[in-house]
Amino acid sequence: MRRGLDFLYKVSGGIAALAILAICLLVTAQVSLNILARLGGPSLSYTIPSYADFAGYFLATASFMALANTLRAGVHIRVNLVLQHLDTGSRWALELATLALAAVLVSYATWYAAALMAESWRYGDKSTGIIAIPLWIPQVAMVSGLGLLVVALVDTLVESLRARAPVLTDTGSE
Amino acid sequence: MSDPMIFGVLLFVLLALLAAGLWVAMALLVMALTALVFFSNAPQGLVLATTLWGNSHSWPLAALPLFILMGEILLRSRLSQDMFSGLAPWLTRAPGRLLHVNVLGCAIFAAVSGSSAATAATIGRMSVPELTKRGYPESLILGTLAGSATLGLLIPPSIILIVYGVATEQSIARLFIAGVLPGLMLVVLFGGYVMVWALMNPGKIPMESIQMSLVEKLRASRRLIPVMLLIGGVIGTIYTGVASPTDAAAIGVVLSIVLAVASGSFSRAAFVEALYSATRTSCMIAFILMGAAFLAIAMGFTGIPRNLAAWIGTFNLSPYALLAVLTVFFIVLGCFLDGISVVVLTTSIILPMVEAVGIDPLWFGIYLVLVVEMSQITPPVGFNLFVIQGLTGINILRVARAALPFFALLLLGTLLITLFPAIVTFLPDAMGN
Repeated sequence: MRRGLDFLYKVSGGIAALAILAICLLVTAQVSLNILARLGGPSLSYTIPSYADFAGYFLATASFMALANTLRAGVHIRVNLVLQHLDTGSRWALELATLALAAVLVSYATWYAAALMAESWRYGDKSTGIIAIPLWIPQVAMVSGLGLLVVALVDTLVESLRARAPVLTDTGSE
Repeated sequence: MSDPMIFGVLLFVLLALLAAGLWVAMALLVMALTALVFFSNAPQGLVLATTLWGNSHSWPLAALPLFILMGEILLRSRLSQDMFSGLAPWLTRAPGRLLHVNVLGCAIFAAVSGSSAATAATIGRMSVPELTKRGYPESLILGTLAGSATLGLLIPPSIILIVYGVATEQSIARLFIAGVLPGLMLVVLFGGYVMVWALMNPGKIPMESIQMSLVEKLRASRRLIPVMLLIGGVIGTIYTGVASPTDAAAIGVVLSIVLAVASGSFSRAAFVEALYSATRTSCMIAFILMGAAFLAIAMGFTGIPRNLAAWIGTFNLSPYALLAVLTVFFIVLGCFLDGISVVVLTTSIILPMVEAVGIDPLWFGIYLVLVVEMSQITPPVGFNLFVIQGLTGINILRVARAALPFFALLLLGTLLITLFPAIVTFLPDAMGN
């Protein structure tokens, strides 16, 4: 179970990292084509169709798919000012409460995100660019990323209950 | 319930959640949901889903992970050694001598990285042990590092300006260019302070024994040339409009990989580590931005920011008076919240009030970054202080005291751009379009 969940966070984080790499490659390719067009004149002018749309969808994929991994790595920012002046018992109680509240909140968001995706599917909503991408495809990443965050929050809650102490260590900075 | 009371209730909800340790992005979402459920008739679930989706896939925002990745790659290269050995020979005769390595090193690294914590870590890793070994006064080593590292937020590329630009629908290219002159102004202020201090305390700055000929100096700094080209390339292409910030960021990533590999210290493992670190940081910021977008929409439904702006309007404050009040407010807020949270709260609640008194949102973005820079070096939550504490093991309060003069210089900088707004607007206006 533990190993299965950790594998899940690792894979989803990996997908997010690949999505960022994809943005980088896509934009670099387009910029190279721009340079080619400047050097070679209009006859050598190419555009990757809908590349800005694709970059945007890769970004959404990266942001949502990394949510759970980022939580477990302790990178999501929160205010530690009050927490660090409390004893372990109170910190534990607050950690349980915030994890539970977060799990409820993100479940709610996942539910409505899924509803939005279902709607895009039902009405066949597409992006407006040269290549019309059915919107439900990139929205799958939103729903699964939020769903995974719920899993990670509940997982952490259970872990914290068993350990009788807070388990997340914050490493975030800006 | 009256508007100020509703606003008070909502603010209390937010602060309570934050203090309890709920993640910032989620605290913003809860505050927004509370506003929608209790003080409006909007279908909150649907609005939440469309906002999350609508604010996650924009083209300008794609610059965010790329610029973070670029900084993460350079952070793991040899740059911090090269920066010290390349800058030091030129500075042995200036009053304050090698202390200027901190100021100039931070300014240069700020121009390839959008984060002040990364800037402090990269420059400080080499300069703190070197300067300490040579006997420079500790307070100035720490102060120049803490102060100058805040330039990471202002000198483009800047993560926080991307956040501001996306949240307020300002052009990120123009914001970046607007940050250049104020950034240079701060470099002059910081460098000037070091010189004045050195002239007033001549015995406290150690002598430097390195004597190099011009050719030797040039040889020592040849490794900095690629970095300078990278900086020129990124800022130049954005300024001339050849590339959008996202385009420039992608090229910046490719060039920084080339640069790191060429310096011979960059492995595949380091790249993967940089990529993951960038993925997580960008996710954290993107999530906060989504929370802020939802809060902005929820606040729009309740009409609070509009009414708040009208209420402020009844006082007939001059823009200067409003800015003075806001500066104090932000400094206090910055003591408890990180910079990005301060910016997103501002854009979703305070911006209508600012625009109502006729302050240019482009100028306000730069002003906000300067104020956030101050908050980076004020206890109890100044990120730069934490980084430097981690780097040196010196207690955070001692670092904060060393950084105090630089806090004052940032305040002076804010005053200068307020009195002479052209420092901010001159370059973006010259850009045209």
